[in-house]
Amino acid sequence: MIVKNVTLLGHKDHGKSTLIGQMLIQTKTVTQDRINEAKKISENLGRPFEPGFILDSFSEERENAMTIDTTRAELTYKGLAFEFIDVPGHEELIKNMISGASYAEFAVLLVSAAPEEGIRDQTKRHLFLARMLGIKKLIVAVNKMDMIKYDQEAFNGITADLSSFIRNIGFDEGNATFVPISAYSGDNILEKSANMQWYTGRTLLDALYDSAESAESNVNPSLRVLVQGKSFDSENGIMGKVLCGEVKVGTRVVALPESRNYTVKEIVSQGEQVQSAHAGDNVDLEFDGKVDEEVRGSVVADETGAPSPSDEIIGKLFVTKRFNGNTLIKANGNEMRCKINIEQVIDPTTGNAIKDSKPEELQAAIANIKLEKKAVFEKSEKVPELGRFLVYSDNEFAGIGIVE
Amino acid sequence: MIMQELKKLENKSVFIIREAKLNFKNIAALWSMGKDSTTMLSLARKAFKGKVPFPVIHIDNGIDFPETYEFREELTKKWNLDTIVLKSKIKSEMSGFACCGENKTVALKKFMNDNGIDGLIVSIRRDEHGIRAKERYVSPRNEKFEWNYKDQPAELWNNYSSKLDKKGHVRIHPLLDWNEIDIWNYVKAEKVPMNPLYFSRNGYRYRSLGCTHCTVALKSEAKNIDDIIKELETTSAEERSGRQQDKEKEYVMEKLRALGYM
Repeated sequence: MIVKNVTLLGHKDHGKSTLIGQMLIQTKTVTQDRINEAKKISENLGRPFEPGFILDSFSEERENAMTIDTTRAELTYKGLAFEFIDVPGHEELIKNMISGASYAEFAVLLVSAAPEEGIRDQTKRHLFLARMLGIKKLIVAVNKMDMIKYDQEAFNGITADLSSFIRNIGFDEGNATFVPISAYSGDNILEKSANMQWYTGRTLLDALYDSAESAESNVNPSLRVLVQGKSFDSENGIMGKVLCGEVKVGTRVVALPESRNYTVKEIVSQGEQVQSAHAGDNVDLEFDGKVDEEVRGSVVADETGAPSPSDEIIGKLFVTKRFNGNTLIKANGNEMRCKINIEQVIDPTTGNAIKDSKPEELQAAIANIKLEKKAVFEKSEKVPELGRFLVYSDNEFAGIGIVE
Repeated sequence: MIMQELKKLENKSVFIIREAKLNFKNIAALWSMGKDSTTMLSLARKAFKGKVPFPVIHIDNGIDFPETYEFREELTKKWNLDTIVLKSKIKSEMSGFACCGENKTVALKKFMNDNGIDGLIVSIRRDEHGIRAKERYVSPRNEKFEWNYKDQPAELWNNYSSKLDKKGHVRIHPLLDWNEIDIWNYVKAEKVPMNPLYFSRNGYRYRSLGCTHCTVALKSEAKNIDDIIKELETTSAEERSGRQQDKEKEYVMEKLRALGYM
C-alpha cells in the first residue's frame, strides 16, 4: 500500500491542526492515551478540548494554540493510507510550511467561513505555493460552518471567489473539490452531516479518496540518475539515485555537466547485483572508464536525448527573505554562487505581475539566474527533481525556485 | 502491497544514509541494539554494498539487559561492525530525565568532541512521539548539543542541511517516515536479526527497549514476528508506554531533545 501524502494549507486559525486531530479521532487511528493527553492539556490550559493538540506537541504550540513547525500523522481510510502533513499558517513561519508541503501530492486547503475570517492573503499565498510545489489535486474545505448556522450561501460565495483565483494561477479547476465542514464539531469529515442537507457532494475523506484513486502518475521514460558521489571501492563507479527512466547493463550513457561518455558495466541496486534499475532505486553504477573527482550533483542520462548543461536558467521564485547580491542556489547536492536578475515581480495573492523592481518577502518573481558554473537543470514539469532549487542570501534561506 | 510501501521507505532511507556519508566528513551512528537502530544498520549495509562505513556507538550505562549485550557482540561479529562502547556512569538515585538526559548525553558529547564527529545517525521515528514528529531528516545541533526547534532549517527537494555553525553537528534521521509496524514488516521481509527481548517469554515482552531501570515489559503472548505484527494491528496502547522517562511530565521529551537527548 503506497501512502499518499496530503498537506494541509491555509491561514492561521482556520483549522488545519484541528481538522487532522478530528480525522484521527473519527477514523479511530489515534490511541485513547493520546486523546486523553490532549484533553488533559486542554483542561490545564483552561480551554475546551482541542483536537489539534494531538499534533501540536511543543509547549509553546499548545499554550499559544498555534502550529510552529510541520508534523505528520497517518491514517487509513477505505484501504488507502494517507499521511497528513500539518503546516503552520503564520506568515513568518512560511519556511516551515514550505518544508512540510513540499512532500505532498495532494492538498486540503482550509478556509474559515466564520464572520471576519474568510479568504485571506495567506490562503491565496499557500495556493500559489502549492502550485509551485507541484501539487495537482486540491480539496478546499470550507470550515467553521457551525459558526454561521451551516449557511449555504456563504459556502457558495467562498466557492465562487476562490474558483476564479484557482483558475488564475493555473490550477485545473476540475482538480479542485469544495466541501463544507466543521473540523471542530466533525461535520462532513467521515460522515455526511445532518446539519447540511443542502450539500449533496462527498464528505472530506471521500473526496480525498476519489482524488487519490483518480490521480495518474506521469512516467518519464528518459533516463536520469542523480549522482551523490564517487564509489568507495572503484575508480570507475558512482553512487546515485535513478530519478526517472531505466538504466541497463550495456547502455551508453553520458555524465553531465562534465560530458563524459560511458558504457554501464555493472549495476548494484541496494546491495544486489542487477541487470537494470528503475525510478526510485539507489544504485552503484560501474562504468568502462574513470569518473571525475568532483561528481557530486552530476547527472547521468541516455546518450540520446540528454539535457544540455547551462550556466543560465529562467526560474519562478517565491521569496521568503529579501535578498541582496550575495546569493547562491542549492539543488541536488550542488551549491552554486549566482546572480539573480529579476525580470518581473508577481503578487502571489493575485497571480498578477506588479511594477516593483525587486521582490519583497512573500512575493514571487520571474528571474534570469546566472550560475558560476554549468549545471544540469530541466523544466520542472518534465523532470521535477532537476527543475527546482533553493535560494540562499548571505547564507540564509531566502526562497525557492522552479525552472519554467 | 506491503512490499511496495516498504520498498519506498527503504529507498528513501538508503538515499538519506548515503547523503549523510557523502555530505559530511566524519559520521557515526547510535546503536542501542533495539529494533529501529538495528534496522537502520541493515539499511546502511544495503547502501554501501554490505559494509557499514561508519562507527556505531553504544552508550552503555552498565544496566542494559544481558540479552542486549549478547546481541551486540553477536551482530558486531556477524556484520563486521566498528562498534564503540561508551561507558556512562549511573547513580542509583537517578531515573528518567536525569539518567537519560545527563548521563548518556555527557558521554556522547565527549566522544563526539574528541573525535570530531560532524554527523550522528539517530534512528528515531515520527510515530513514536509528537516531539519526534517535528524533526527534520537532517537537523543541526549547536556546540552545546542544543536543538533550536523554534528555528529549524528549510528542508525540501532532497536538499538537507549542510551548513554548520563551527562546533556544532547534525543529527541524521533516516527512519523518520517509518511506523512501528513497518519496522516489523521489514524485519520479517529482510530477516533482520533481532534482540530476543522483543519476543514473549512467560507472558511478557518488551515493545520498546531502554535500560533495565526504566523499561517495563508488557503483557503479551507474541512469540514471533508474525504475532507481533498481529498484536500491533489491534493494540490501542502507545509504543513507549513501558518507558518511564516519557511519563514524568508532559514536556519531558521536548526538554530532553532540546538538550541533546536522542
